Amino acid sequence: MNFEYQKLDNGLTIIGEVDPLAQSAAVGFFVRTGARDETPQISGVSHYLEHMLFKGTDALSALEVNAAFDRLGAKFNAFTSEENTVYYAAVLPEYLMDVAGLWIQLMRPSLRNDDFDIEKNVILEEIAMYKDLPQFEVMDQARALHFGTHPCGNSVLGTNESVSALTASQMRSYFSKRYAPNNMVLACSGNFDFKALCQLAQEQCAAWGAVDTTRELEDFRGTFRTKHLQNENLARQHICLLSPALSMQDPRRFAASLLGMILGDDSGSRYYWGLTEPALAEIAAMQCESMDGTGVFYSYLCCDPDKTPKVLDIIRNIFAELEKTGVSEAELETARNKMLSAVTIKCEQPMGRLVSLGFNWIYNCNYQSVQQNVDAIKAVNAADISDIIYRLKPSKFTMLSLGPNSD
Amino acid sequence: MNNTLDIYQLKNGMILLGERIENVHSASFQFLLPAGASLLPDRCCGASSVINDWLFRGAGDRSSRELIEAFDRLGVHRHASTSAHHLSLNASLEAGNLPSALELYADVIGRPQLAAKQFELSRQLAVSELQGLDDDPRQKIMTLLYEQFYPDPFGRPAIGKLDQLQALPFERTADIVKRMPDPSKTLFSICGNYDFDAVCKQIEILFDAQSNQGLIEKQPASKGKHYSHFPSEGAQVHIGLMTPMPTVASEFYYEIAAAVSVLSGSMSSRLFTEVREKRGLCYAVGANYRTMRDYAGISCYAGTTPDKAQQTLDVILEQFRLLKDGISTDELQRAKVGLKTSLIMQGESTCARSSSIAADHFLLGRVRELAEIREKIETLSVDSVLRFLQKHPFEDFTIVTIGPNAVTV
Repeated sequence: MNFEYQKLDNGLTIIGEVDPLAQSAAVGFFVRTGARDETPQISGVSHYLEHMLFKGTDALSALEVNAAFDRLGAKFNAFTSEENTVYYAAVLPEYLMDVAGLWIQLMRPSLRNDDFDIEKNVILEEIAMYKDLPQFEVMDQARALHFGTHPCGNSVLGTNESVSALTASQMRSYFSKRYAPNNMVLACSGNFDFKALCQLAQEQCAAWGAVDTTRELEDFRGTFRTKHLQNENLARQHICLLSPALSMQDPRRFAASLLGMILGDDSGSRYYWGLTEPALAEIAAMQCESMDGTGVFYSYLCCDPDKTPKVLDIIRNIFAELEKTGVSEAELETARNKMLSAVTIKCEQPMGRLVSLGFNWIYNCNYQSVQQNVDAIKAVNAADISDIIYRLKPSKFTMLSLGPNSD
Repeated sequence: MNNTLDIYQLKNGMILLGERIENVHSASFQFLLPAGASLLPDRCCGASSVINDWLFRGAGDRSSRELIEAFDRLGVHRHASTSAHHLSLNASLEAGNLPSALELYADVIGRPQLAAKQFELSRQLAVSELQGLDDDPRQKIMTLLYEQFYPDPFGRPAIGKLDQLQALPFERTADIVKRMPDPSKTLFSICGNYDFDAVCKQIEILFDAQSNQGLIEKQPASKGKHYSHFPSEGAQVHIGLMTPMPTVASEFYYEIAAAVSVLSGSMSSRLFTEVREKRGLCYAVGANYRTMRDYAGISCYAGTTPDKAQQTLDVILEQFRLLKDGISTDELQRAKVGLKTSLIMQGESTCARSSSIAADHFLLGRVRELAEIREKIETLSVDSVLRFLQKHPFEDFTIVTIGPNAVTV
């Protein structure tokens, strides 16, 4: 696989990982904007805007956009997080240039008032849908609690109130500040012609004007608060714990991810033996999420409301034991093998590669090959993990508990 | 696109299928065991959910901890699930660890320890998982819908029923496990980077048991009600509906696939356009074709706030019914490209293909090669799809809702 790179004069970065043997190709725009770039007055605008990009341009209506993607047989979608908005499509190689051309057009949308009004209903339905899914609700609330006033606590969806009050002109203003070429990466992986892609981008995107886009990158260790949200209609107790982890810029993030796996993988982890295997919690998972300038370890626990005190006692014991004795070489070796096989399987499809390719560039402006990822995972030793435990002290966490229990 | 297909039958009847995919480092395999939810004895609904966990709590000479650690050291990504006909054990891993992983699975399937203490823990976990379904209405509604749509026992929920799971006896469940590995009804499939001869030799040694009586298939009873509402205090009304269709073995399978694609294949499909894009009624709306050996249907889900529920249902039903009145050439062309693309991308995934070839063999008695499917898709025409729809109009709907209010059907 060859890595290719080019930057247009207006700052738009184009990257590609070319695999002539692949049966498909994937292409995406990675825009460095999300909930953390919003003020409370426009909470939810990044995600709403992501929906609005599919509503078309001056030349294409929403229905024409959908038909155009489907004519290419594209497997396409988009997602918005706290810090990125990503648009992607996987297609057969012969359609790659067409689908890339379509995305390029959509990156300069009309944002028509009529479309804005209809789509607002869809966004409000999406907010209602997640209200009925406590496993999502608990994460959203816990993140807000953990980050307090730090922008990473901003809600991606926004609220009924913030979205209802949002105007199309507020959205246009946000778009003009964030969807600047110097804040975007066009990434491609699989079987495609990089030169042709660059030529297309040069023809279609060179006129986009650069804008000074900034983001405050401040690490934040968390509020370490505890909150209980009682909902007697729920059957289970849903608990989310957050503690500080390492940023995407920190080379030790691979060690942090391995620590997350040792503690909270769904098979053979410390949570598994402490909580799932003895049937105290049907779900007990932990993972490390590295973000821009900061990071968090998330734990999600789902259990019988009556067993909550016992579950939390065991969690505290797991963390206390971890801080006392660190992790064993055998545990680390097992976690490494699980992570390596996951990397191997994911990278066998262009779509799997696209996401890590794009994010690596968005966060670090560098390329990391599959082999470099593998080497970085293999290089982690038990002392690296002990160092992370010592510095981050995962036993101190923010906790949000949602369910029938009042405390 | 032209992955190589291998097939071999052991003396005891077990069938091994393989599809080699070039340029990958992984392998994925699947054991389909004849112990699906419809085959379980009466009053044992949910036993397979217990068994999926219990099997891995000690096997051969390894304790529960030793076994899980052995799998994890090999980096095996495991998954166990249950359909109406099968209990399925799936694994994906780096191809070099394949022989060791197969040895572990031989122990799990053929020599599980089945300790009583471990049974109790597996049963408690299954009860917890079932109780958790109340907090996931999107999944719960489909479970309720299938139960109502398929004739009993084919709609029995794999996740179980609370009273039956709570009373599930250890001895009866252990007996199911012992009768489960009936080799004449077991399928093994593998995809990716593997040596088929070596895999066959190893499996021949590891799985040398003879056929036993196995679990007995039941005669289907009548279907459930036409419409049911389950009240709950949620933010949305969740709507599930299903209408019968011929199975995958039917001569019309590709016409069905095209019809479902026009209805709900992607964002330019009828449901997405009419329900979400034009009217803003829902965030989530979609339909899928689901086929078993003897029964099949198109299922559809939509979630919407209570005051829009009736309109959402009405628009969805109208779209189903309108389909037979006409499909444009462009719509069919989009459906065909979408189906072909999915097929080729599936051919890049070892995990997706190992499941597909096993399903094909069970449902059709043979494995369709990717090239054959591609050719069938190419030959579809607007006329052939409409002829099928006019012969099989969508008239009979089973409908289920969960939420603050019911709908009128």
